[in-house]
Amino acid sequence: MASIWTLQFHPISLQPSIWVSKHQIHLNFEKLRPEFRFKSSSSKQLSRKFVLGANSGSPSDPDEPAVKTQTITVAVKDQLSKLHGTINSFPPLVFVMNRYGGSNLAIGLCIAITLLVIAVRVYAARKLRHRTPGSVADLVRRGQLRSDRRGISRPLKYEDPFNNPMVKVGKSNSTVEMCGKVYRLAPVTLTEEEQAIHQKRRSRAYQWKRPTVFLKEGESVPADVDPDTIRWIPANHPFATTASDIDEDLAQNNVYQKHGVPFRIKAEHEAMQRKLEALQSEQKLNNLMIDPRNAKDFERPFKEHPRSREQVEQSSFNNQTSDSMSPTSDPAPISVESNSSSEETQKL
Amino acid sequence: MLSLHNPFPTTPKPSLNLNSSTPPFSTTFKPHFPNTLKPPKPHKPHFTTRTQSLLQYNRKPQLAGETPRVVVITSGKGGVGKTTTTANVGLSLARLGFSVVAIDADVGLRNLDLLLGLENRVNYTVVEVLNGDCRLDQALVRDKRWSNFELLCISKPRSKLPIGFGGKALVWLVDALKSRQEGSPDFIIIDCPAGIDAGFITAITPANEAVLVTTPDITSLRDADRVTGLLECDGIRDIKMIVNRVRTDMIKGEDMMSVLDVQEMLGLSLLGVIPEDSEVIRSTNRGYPLVLNKPPTLAGLAFEQAAWRLVEQDSMKAVMMEEEPKKRGFFSFFGG
Repeated sequence: MASIWTLQFHPISLQPSIWVSKHQIHLNFEKLRPEFRFKSSSSKQLSRKFVLGANSGSPSDPDEPAVKTQTITVAVKDQLSKLHGTINSFPPLVFVMNRYGGSNLAIGLCIAITLLVIAVRVYAARKLRHRTPGSVADLVRRGQLRSDRRGISRPLKYEDPFNNPMVKVGKSNSTVEMCGKVYRLAPVTLTEEEQAIHQKRRSRAYQWKRPTVFLKEGESVPADVDPDTIRWIPANHPFATTASDIDEDLAQNNVYQKHGVPFRIKAEHEAMQRKLEALQSEQKLNNLMIDPRNAKDFERPFKEHPRSREQVEQSSFNNQTSDSMSPTSDPAPISVESNSSSEETQKL
Repeated sequence: MLSLHNPFPTTPKPSLNLNSSTPPFSTTFKPHFPNTLKPPKPHKPHFTTRTQSLLQYNRKPQLAGETPRVVVITSGKGGVGKTTTTANVGLSLARLGFSVVAIDADVGLRNLDLLLGLENRVNYTVVEVLNGDCRLDQALVRDKRWSNFELLCISKPRSKLPIGFGGKALVWLVDALKSRQEGSPDFIIIDCPAGIDAGFITAITPANEAVLVTTPDITSLRDADRVTGLLECDGIRDIKMIVNRVRTDMIKGEDMMSVLDVQEMLGLSLLGVIPEDSEVIRSTNRGYPLVLNKPPTLAGLAFEQAAWRLVEQDSMKAVMMEEEPKKRGFFSFFGG
C-alpha cells in the first residue's frame, strides 16, 4: 500500500526525481530488453523442438501422456516467461519501487503530512477570514482595536509619520515599506545651484507685476492709478459686481470688528428704531381710541366668524414677521407699525 | 512620499551610497532635534479633540518660521488636487496640535467645505463679513472632529463678490486673525482657485509661502512653471511642490515622468509625493478627509508626512521610485 502511495506522490511532489527515475527506468528497460528477447527466443526454440519431437513420434506412442505433460509444462513455462517479460517490460515504476522502497515511504509520508498541514492552514485561514463581522476579533483584524492593548483607554500613539507600524524603512535605507508595499528609494538630486538657475530662467521668462486694482471692462481708469496695476475683469466674472455700496474703510472696519452687533445689522436696527419712534409719536392720538381690530378680540369666543378669524391670523402673522425682522424692537408693536417696519427693511 | 530627515546641511551632490555610515542617508528617521517629546513652543490652550484617529504621534514637529504661517496652495491647472491637499494637510496640521484656519479663496467654485464635510455649516462667508452682516468669528466654521481647525469661505456658490479691493480683503482677514482674542492661528492655508486671473491674484496677496501642487504630466507642469514664475515675481520665494497622483507602476514602465524628472523640470524642492489612491475619491465623496481614515491609506500617510515637513520647513531628501516585490518569509509558501 505504501509503495503504491509512493508511486502516486512521486509525480506530484518532486519533479527532478521523476526525471531521474525516468532515466533510471529507461536504462533498466534497455538492460532488460535483451534478456527478455533472449528468454523469449529460447522459449520459442524450445517449443519448436517440442513440436518437432511430437510430430516425429507416432500417434499411438505410449509416451504420449509424458509428451503431453511436457507440452503443458513447456507451455506453462512459455507463459510464465511471457508474464515475466511483461512484468519486466513494465518495470519502470515497479523497479523503482522495489529499489527505493524504504526511503520513498518516508519521503512520501513527509510530503503527505506537509500537504495535509497546508490544506488545514489554508482552510483555517479562509474560515477565519469569513468569520461573521462584529466580534472583537474582527475589530482587531480590521485594525480598529489592538489586541495587545485591550481595555487601555489612552489613545495609541506612534513615534511620527516616518516611523510607525505603517511606515518602515529598510535596514539599508534604500527601501521603505508603506502599507505593506515595499518601495525603492532614490535620493533627491536637486541642488541649490540648480534651483537658482531655474529661478533665473523664470525671472527672465515671466515679467509680471501683481495687479492691485480690479476694473470691470468698459470702466474708465481712475486718475491716480498706475495702468500696469489694473486687472481688467470681464462682466460675467464672479468679481464683476464691483458696484459695492460699502467703501473700503468700512469694509476693513467690518473685518476687524471683534465684538458687538455687526455694522449692517446695527444700522438696520437703528433705522428701524427711528422709524418706529416717528410712527409712534404720530399715532399717539390714534392709539387712544379703541382699535376696531383689537376690539374684535374681545368678542365672545363661541361665536365664530370665518372672516374675523382670518383677520386675527393675519395680524398674528404680521407680528411674527415683525419679531423676526426686528428682534430688538419694542416688545409690543401694533400691526400697523410692524407693517411699516417690514417695508423699511425691504427698502434697506 | 518619504523624507529622510537630514540633519546635516544639504551636500551639493548627494551621493547614492545608501549603505555608507555618513550622511545624507545614514541618520535618517530618527528624531534629530532634542527634547522631542516636549512641545516645541509654550503650550497653547487648544481645544479638546473628540475624535481620535488611529495614528497618533508622540512626537510633535518643531514649528519653524513666524506665526501665522500664511501658505497658499496653488497649481495653475485645475483638477490636480489643490483642494484635496488643502483639506488633508490642514487637518493633518490640526491633528499635530497646531491651530489652523483654511480659507477657501475659490470665489465661484468653492469645494473645500464639501471635502471637509462642513457644507451644511457654512452660513456666513467673507462677503457677509465685508458687508457688515456678521463678524469674522461668526463666519469661521469650526470643525467638530478637530476643533483647532477652522474653515472660512470667501463667498457662497453662485454669488458674486463685490470685491473691488482685490487681495486687500484677504490681507485684512489675515490681520484680523492675527489679533483675535484666542490667539493667532499657527497656519492660515489658502486654497487658491485654478488659473492666474483675479481669483489667483486675490489668493496669493497675503501669502508668504506657497505650495505648488502638480501632477506628473506636461500640461500641469507647464502651468506650474508659469505660476511659480508669477509667485516669484510677487516676492514669494518659499515655494515647495507636492507631486500628486503618482503611479509607481507607470513610472517603472516609463509611461509616466518620475518625481525626479518633475523636479528637474521645475527646480523646486519637494514637500511631498502623493501616490494615486482610490481612497481619495471615496473620502471626497464622504466628506471625510483621507488623513482621518482608519486604517490609514497610502495617500493619507503621504499627506501626513507632507504636513510634517511643512511645519518644519523641511523638504524630501529621498523619493519612492517603484514597488519592489516584497521579500517573503521561508514559511510563506505554507500560507504564512
